[in-house]
Amino acid sequence: MRERLRNSPLVKPAADALAVAAGRAEKAYGSVPNALRLLLLAALLIGVPFYENPMGGGVIFDERWLAVFRLVGLYIMLGMGLNVVVGYAGLLDLGYVAFFATGAYLYALLASPASPAIDFPIDDVPWLFWALLPTALFVGAFAGILLGIPVLPLRGDYLAIVTLGFGEIIRLFLVNKTDFTGGSQGLYGIKAPPLPDFPGLNLTELKSTALTEWYVFIVIAVFIVAFAAARLRDSRMGRAWEAIREDEDVAEAMGIDTIKYKLMAFAMGAAIGSLGGTVFAAFQGSAIPNSFDLLVSINVVSLVVIGGMGNTSGVVLGAVILIGIPDFLRFREASDLLGFFDPLVPFADTRNWAEDLRENRFIVFGALLVAVMVLRPSGLIPSRRRQIEFAAAAEEA
Amino acid sequence: MTAESAPAQPAPALLETRSLTKRFEGVIALSNLDLSVRQGSIAGLIGPNGAGKTTLFNVATGFYPPDEGTITLAGKRLQGLRPHSITALGIARTFQNIRLFANMTALENVLVGQHMHADFVARATPEEEDPEPARRFRISLGSAEHWAYRAAFPGRMLWEVLATLGRPGVVQETERVAVDRSIDLLGFVGLKGRHNEIARSLPYGDQRRLELARALATRPKLLLLDEPTAGMNPQESQEIVHLIRSIRDELGTTVLLIEHHMHVVMGVCEMITVLDYGEKIAEGPPETVQRDKRVIEAYLGTGHTGIGNGAAGG
Repeated sequence: MRERLRNSPLVKPAADALAVAAGRAEKAYGSVPNALRLLLLAALLIGVPFYENPMGGGVIFDERWLAVFRLVGLYIMLGMGLNVVVGYAGLLDLGYVAFFATGAYLYALLASPASPAIDFPIDDVPWLFWALLPTALFVGAFAGILLGIPVLPLRGDYLAIVTLGFGEIIRLFLVNKTDFTGGSQGLYGIKAPPLPDFPGLNLTELKSTALTEWYVFIVIAVFIVAFAAARLRDSRMGRAWEAIREDEDVAEAMGIDTIKYKLMAFAMGAAIGSLGGTVFAAFQGSAIPNSFDLLVSINVVSLVVIGGMGNTSGVVLGAVILIGIPDFLRFREASDLLGFFDPLVPFADTRNWAEDLRENRFIVFGALLVAVMVLRPSGLIPSRRRQIEFAAAAEEA
Repeated sequence: MTAESAPAQPAPALLETRSLTKRFEGVIALSNLDLSVRQGSIAGLIGPNGAGKTTLFNVATGFYPPDEGTITLAGKRLQGLRPHSITALGIARTFQNIRLFANMTALENVLVGQHMHADFVARATPEEEDPEPARRFRISLGSAEHWAYRAAFPGRMLWEVLATLGRPGVVQETERVAVDRSIDLLGFVGLKGRHNEIARSLPYGDQRRLELARALATRPKLLLLDEPTAGMNPQESQEIVHLIRSIRDELGTTVLLIEHHMHVVMGVCEMITVLDYGEKIAEGPPETVQRDKRVIEAYLGTGHTGIGNGAAGG
């Protein structure tokens, strides 16, 4: 069925062109030395808020863009964290939001004036945020092990269902344990943490410096997390995870303590998720249970799957598509851009169809997810390993 | 003590089972099995399909807990241990239906086998070497150092993560040694220069060799081979027989193998145990077993021909 669809005259040229382009881009990208590549990329990305429009009219990316980029960056972090659990160790965790919430509430409970947990918020301690970043890693890892222990004997679908339940339990706990978490109205009024300002770079007066700082912070954080994820993957631990994903029994027979390494995967993924949660609470200035619903887990899993499981650049692409584009559709520029297609859309003069598209983005995403799964089941930018795996599976089918 | 021991005295038993029994919901897979594999020998385990041969392997490697009886490796009790601990004590195995990490390269497969030996975290384990019953009771209460070791577990995990992230010299060095040794092992089993090939894409015979290399990478005292020549032509099986001999002769590893190809079993094994319905029906050197009446009956019903003529079973 997939073969037929893939070879149909409508789909084949597009799919082929996409595959060729992806292959070329990968090759060109791979030929640059690693460190240089990363340095260049980091410089390019950090420079984004300062890019001037050569035609005049100030910067290219204003606050709206930076806010979107910040969210995309956060989801890249979450995606990379979940990737450790799902992509490396093969443990399908649908309750990832639990750890995101852990990190967010860890910060909010201490820093929000509305916090019922402590009598006075520690909002006058400027370094609280910075002290909590490493703390969030530890607390997250601990939460990961705690939630990991009961699901150890479960595999595949059963694991997915139980972790899904955990995610919901956390949200319900946040809503209902009013005397501890502040209930459904959440914790708010967290003072913005002092981020280092970048005196050399802070040239533009056009936009809020806070957003620029947050943007730079997120870019650096993403790079650090990506580095850590790569180190974990290319190590003895990463190999143990891979062996567990391939065949858990045999991994155990080869002397790998599968319990320890599965918990380790949960812990690493949860630590990154929790770190993301703390950052999220800090830039939102609040933590509300509604931000930690099932949708977060689904979004993160989807962006990992669409981008390509087990692969960092896949996660980045997935986050841009799933998190960046919906927000972009809200922009004036998006309407302008989509205006080009108005002649193709029969109801363009009666309806604002760009707005419709944005409103119904989950339907569009559903279709996109199905399309990706049919055309490129290993994701848009799959890891080498996944590619082999899926090719072999297709051959056997 | 060593001076008195007569040169003719047989080597001590490495793997020993005493009245080992395993049942699966009424079916008796192993029944009161007494088996011993001498150190440094190549032993064979044969029997018709469903005789309990693979079950014995699964019990020995900790995948199934035995229902009754004991099983020891060089005097150390194996029951109750998790498979990875048994591997650490020195048992490695291959599988009847090849179970490689199919999407990993040959080198990575062998590196996974080296997992325990590429450990850069302190490896000293204060666990007792010979758990005599009386001592075992004391150990179960725990010595101070045992509990200190336990208590340091989170610390060791943290160090493992930090070392993985920071990749200090000691980590790079253990990794380099592991890679070198894996490449040597691949050469030893006849896969020289093939280390970057994906396991899945290797030819069938080479997959069997890779599985051997991966098992050897755990540095076993005892190697359990489940039908190492299944599906091979006579020439290929002959090569595997040579390989098995050199594993014993060069690495000093004791081998216990399940095999249906009788020419392989009779050619390579020094001692053969025959199982039927989970019971040991014969034991001895190949010539004796070949002529044993019960063995012939088990294989052929009431037959007249010997079993040394070709493949029996399935």
